[in-house]
Order: sequence, then C-alpha cells, then structure tokens
Amino acid sequence: MLSRLVFVSAPVLKSTAPLGAGLVQAARSVHTSQQSLAPVPALPEKGGKVRYGLIPEEIFQFLYPKTGVTGPYVLGTGLLTYLLSKEIYVINHETFAAASIGIVIVYGIKKFGPSVAAFADKLNDEKVSKVREVKELAVSNLQQAIEEEKKEQWRAEGRQNLFDAKRNNVAMLLEINFRERLHMVTNEVKKRLDYQIALQNLQRRMEQEHLVSWVEKSVVKSITPQQEKESIAKCITDLKMLAKIEQARPTV
Amino acid sequence: MSGRRVALKAIDWMAFAERVPPNQKMMFNALKTRSDAVAARLSALPEKPPVIDWSYYKSAVAKAGMVDEFEKKFTALKIPEAADTETSKINAQEQEANKHAVAYVQASKARIAQYEKELEMFRNMIPFDQMTIEDLNNTFPETKLDKEKYPYWPHKPIAEL
Repeated sequence: MLSRLVFVSAPVLKSTAPLGAGLVQAARSVHTSQQSLAPVPALPEKGGKVRYGLIPEEIFQFLYPKTGVTGPYVLGTGLLTYLLSKEIYVINHETFAAASIGIVIVYGIKKFGPSVAAFADKLNDEKVSKVREVKELAVSNLQQAIEEEKKEQWRAEGRQNLFDAKRNNVAMLLEINFRERLHMVTNEVKKRLDYQIALQNLQRRMEQEHLVSWVEKSVVKSITPQQEKESIAKCITDLKMLAKIEQARPTV
Repeated sequence: MSGRRVALKAIDWMAFAERVPPNQKMMFNALKTRSDAVAARLSALPEKPPVIDWSYYKSAVAKAGMVDEFEKKFTALKIPEAADTETSKINAQEQEANKHAVAYVQASKARIAQYEKELEMFRNMIPFDQMTIEDLNNTFPETKLDKEKYPYWPHKPIAEL
C-alpha cells in the first residue's frame, strides 16, 4: 500500500484522494520552512483505488482512451486463456486449495473489514484527540501567561504612587510638627501672661481678706463685757416685743 | 512664623489600590491607614495659632513693660522648621525601584516574546491528523525515539510506555 502511494502521480490522486491536492512522498522529508512548501498538502486518507481487490484503477484509466471500458477485461480474459491453454499455469491440487482459501479470505474481509477498520480509526482518533487536548491546554496556558505578564507590567507602572504617598506623608508630618511648635509657643506665652494676671488677682484677694478679717478681729476685741451684757438685754426686750406683736396679730 | 505650605500631591487611592498585587495588599492597607491617620491629624490642627490679645494683657498686667517685652520677643520669634531627613532617602528608594522595575519589565517582555514564539509554533503547526511520525518528531523533539540508546523496540524504557 505504501509503495503504491510512492508511485502515484498527481492527477490520479486528485481524482481518487478525497482530501485535495496530490502529494509526493519525497517532498515531506524536506519539511524545512513553511514558506518554501506552502500550503502543506494533506496526507491521503485512503490508499490508491483498486478494482476487484487486486487490479489498480490506473490500468483501467490507462487503457480507457484506446480500448474503452471493456479493454482491461478483454485483456484479462485473453491473458488467462493464454496461461491456461498453453499450460504456463498448471491446474493441480494447489489450485483448489488456493481457490478455497481465497473464498474464505474474501468472505472474512468483506464481513469484518469495516468494523475492524472503524475500531482502528477509533484508536487513532483517541490518540489524536488526546494530543490535541494537550496542545489546546498549552496554547491557553501560554495566552494566560502573556496576559498575566502584561498585567504585571501595568502594575509595575503604578510604583510612582507609592513614593508620592511616602513623600506626602513626610511633608504632612513636618507640617504637623511645625504647627504644633507654633501652637506650643503661643500657648506657653499665653500661660505666662495668664499666670501673671492670676498672681495679681490672688494678691489682691489675699490683701482684701486679710484686711477684712483684721477689721473683724479688732471690732470683736473692742466689744467690752459691759457692752455685751447691755446688747443681750436689749435683744431680749426686742424679742419680747416682737412676740407680743405676733400674738396680737392672728386675729387680723 | 507663617505656616509653610508645601504642595501635597493628590493621590488617587482607588487607582493605586487597583495596581497593588494581591500579595502586597496588607502592606498597602497599612500604608493607607497610616496616611489617613496623618492626614486626619493635619486637618485637625488649625493652620494659625490663636492670636494673643495684647491690649487686654497690657491693661490687666500691673507690672509695667512686661507685656511689651513679651510682645516684642514674641513677634520677633521665628520657629525653626524641622529638618527633612527622609525625602532624600525616599528619592534614593525611588531610583532603586525604578531600576528594578525597568529590569523586571525587560525580563517580562523577554518572557512574553518567548511565549509568543511558542504560540506561533503552535498556530503554524500542521493538524495532528495530517502528521506523520517524522513530522511529530520535528515539531515536538521530545517525542523522538532514541534508537541509539535503546536499540530494541520499544526504544524507550518500559516504565515510560
């Protein structure tokens, strides 16, 4: 089958292979760069077509222009008759054995051929799909990696902010310090002045209190026992009078 | 003695937050809280201290000349500003960071170029169902069976089958 692929020529394959342009086997090994061999022709899916399982289609096509449709059949029949009649091929026991084996083989292939082919194809498809999955995964991983790299680059661009923030902080702290010093100075001066005023006020108050208490003490000292008795008697009479007035009042 | 007004650069914290990578979010939050605390302190302090009513003190304080002396010294006083030791350090850090960032971006670009190359290879690859084993070995050199090291089928150690 493989050798047939090698002999196949382009126009024949075009008519037989279901997958497009013809292929020369040798060219595939010179698979250097895409440009020199673009586009890559597809691998043929099936081998060369064959009639009756034995005779390639090319012979029929080759003889068609000269002898028409029946040409190859006539050739085959004539060849067979010649071989048999001239006893170039001798009929013996092996002939019957070959015929029986041939019938069995043909029957077997016709019956089980397609299913075996389908099974083999399934195996191949599984392999291909597995590999394709791997490839898809790799591609998506690469794309994601590229995305992430770009994102990281964008992130790195924002580094300016950090230093601006730091400088801002430093400036703010300095400003706070300065203002605090200002406030402290003002407050201290104010405190000193207030202290003076408070001191003065205290002085005056103490003088007043001292004077008052001194006056009181001297007054109390000047009251003689005689005066005390007189003032107490006067208080008693006053009280009695007041009591009498009070008693006389409730009738009003 | 007037307040010194240094222009504070307005920082867009939202945009800044977006650019912070997740593994540095904690540091960013710490920075933000610190900055906010400092800013709050700054705004709580009035810019000018309360004015001292000299006329009242002149009338109230009995000692002559004391208030005048205070007033003279007070107006003549200049409050020194604290020395700025950190800004130069910050600038140095910034230069370092810039260098690192540039180096990182270059390395990143190199990595991107490599990834792009591999992607190109994958995109230009012929589909798997059109490949022969030879093509597979050319595209993925690791699939090539080493026939010199393992001359007998299956040309690779049994464990790798």
